[in-house]
Amino acid sequence: MPDPAIVAEDLTYRYGDLLAVDHISFTVERGEILGFLGPNGAGKSTTVKMLTGQLRPVSGRAVLLGIDVARYPKRVQSRIGICFEQPNLYEELSGVDNLRLFARLFNVSDLDVDALLRRVGLDGRGRDLVGRYSKGMKQRLMIARALVNRPDILFLDEPTEGLDPASAEAIRRVILEEQQRGATVFLTTHDMYEADRLCHRVAFINSGKIVALDTPHNLKQQYGKRMVRAELVGPDGALRTREIILDRPETPAEIADLLAREQVVTLHSEEATLEDIFIRLTGRGLA
Amino acid sequence: MNVAAIWALIQKDVRLYFANRLFALVTALGLVAYVTIYFLLPATVDETVRIGMVIPSLPPALADALADDAVQISQFASADELRAAVAAGTVTIGFAFPPDLYDQIRQGARPAVELFLAPEVTPDLVSVYEAAGRELSFSLIGQELPVTISEVVLGPDLAGAQIAPRQRMLPLFAVLVLMVECLGLASLIVAEVEQGTIRALLVTPLTMRGLFLAKSLFGSLFAFVQAVVLMAVTGGLAQAAFLNLTALLIGSVLMTGVAFLIAALGRDLMSVMGWGMLALLIMALPTFTVLIPGLAADWVRLIPTHYLVDTIYRSLNFGAGWSEVGGNLAPLAGSALLLLAMGMVILQRRFA
Repeated sequence: MPDPAIVAEDLTYRYGDLLAVDHISFTVERGEILGFLGPNGAGKSTTVKMLTGQLRPVSGRAVLLGIDVARYPKRVQSRIGICFEQPNLYEELSGVDNLRLFARLFNVSDLDVDALLRRVGLDGRGRDLVGRYSKGMKQRLMIARALVNRPDILFLDEPTEGLDPASAEAIRRVILEEQQRGATVFLTTHDMYEADRLCHRVAFINSGKIVALDTPHNLKQQYGKRMVRAELVGPDGALRTREIILDRPETPAEIADLLAREQVVTLHSEEATLEDIFIRLTGRGLA
Repeated sequence: MNVAAIWALIQKDVRLYFANRLFALVTALGLVAYVTIYFLLPATVDETVRIGMVIPSLPPALADALADDAVQISQFASADELRAAVAAGTVTIGFAFPPDLYDQIRQGARPAVELFLAPEVTPDLVSVYEAAGRELSFSLIGQELPVTISEVVLGPDLAGAQIAPRQRMLPLFAVLVLMVECLGLASLIVAEVEQGTIRALLVTPLTMRGLFLAKSLFGSLFAFVQAVVLMAVTGGLAQAAFLNLTALLIGSVLMTGVAFLIAALGRDLMSVMGWGMLALLIMALPTFTVLIPGLAADWVRLIPTHYLVDTIYRSLNFGAGWSEVGGNLAPLAGSALLLLAMGMVILQRRFA
């Protein structure tokens, strides 16, 4: 069995008196997509920076692809790709020039720039200056840049934040393609729909600690409630909502009673979302 | 170290530099302006002293004694005419002796001699002209001082070969060219920090050392090339070419260090300009001591560009060679390396 792609052991980081990451430990298997969910200030970006060699942990260690990141950051960085939350492209250069520059930094001599741009939906726009790109286009180029060195691990920080649905879907498609190629993906996001859809496992981080780490299905099973939500017409003619928790002994009787006694307008079954679970576990939302 | 990566970064910086229209224009127009101003400035110095006199009669012996290529004597009929000539700039100074000069002297009186001075005569020369007027008066009455004065010029005799204004300006132009590139490099770095592209570079195999090497090479070579163009076009490489090229190269490295420091302090273009103006003022001070020799002071030697300016100025105007000014290169190089190291250490913290 190959070593995990990512091993975090007791990672800790402080910004002055603020304990941003509090002794977190986890592993990510090769070829896995791990979602890292948490609100702003939870410690997601700091964790990513420690894993990618941008910050040195105060204690603990990170091992990527069997390499200690703190000791050999450049060896690790030559095999990973990073898509930052905020675009940090050279806006005075074209998309092609941005990619070629980073290809040279990674010593990649056989990069097919046009094919890469096509993959992220930027074909025909590679020669334009990045300063003229829309937000979605810049984000696509950021993804393309992260793929220049065919990374073994891809770190994506909020890759679809603020994007239109088409751009977001294009990026999700690329993420899945990379995972199928064998890359490991470490995805930080607020978007529980994205995490639910893409990730093999998700980790909830809050105030620097991991509060849960499991597959979305298991988290919902363990922490979520399945329910039926009904919209009813009340005595005053106004619509009201009633929820009936499923999987209880009295559930069938409650549903029968509902249908018999009330004027039901709509009836839907629902399962808990990851955000619902996060709120239940931490008392706060993902936003 | 990945040489291809370093070269790629230098190429990228060249493109980014010229993508900034302000610096592209200032670089190109600046060079043109400095060269133009250089050739518009006088190539020679007019050493002629124009003296006007109102005198009853000029003894032939005295006329012979005053005859000199550098002195032009003009006689005027009256003090009013002489006053008007001085005011108009026709003559620089005028001595107006009274018409009954010799009669007053024979009668034991003290004739009054008027000394008219043009406004541009500096205060330190007024007493010199007063003394000349007294000696002239003694000569006129036939009572010369019983002394013989012999002139000894300590150093190069610049009589007839005064340093032209354009030659005095050349070190200032060289420093300005280097400083403009320094500001350009600082702005480039600050923009990269603010845009986050430095962070993107540093999560690749590129090391901090490689990044600074690329920036240092770009900054130094770019500034050096422009300084060489300036000096070549203005004839500044006609003498002691290798010495001056070496000094300019070290000066370029010095300015790169200054650029790193400015970038470490600046947060945006405005703050870079602010810090840059302060640096420019300090670095340009030694050039003013060349323009106005009376400004020279020992503390100017604390400014690293003094050694660059002194090398260029003395090699071009006094024929100084390696033995005379080669020693300047050591403090210049030491300052350059110190500023470069300081700049890297402080700037590195902004990159992290």
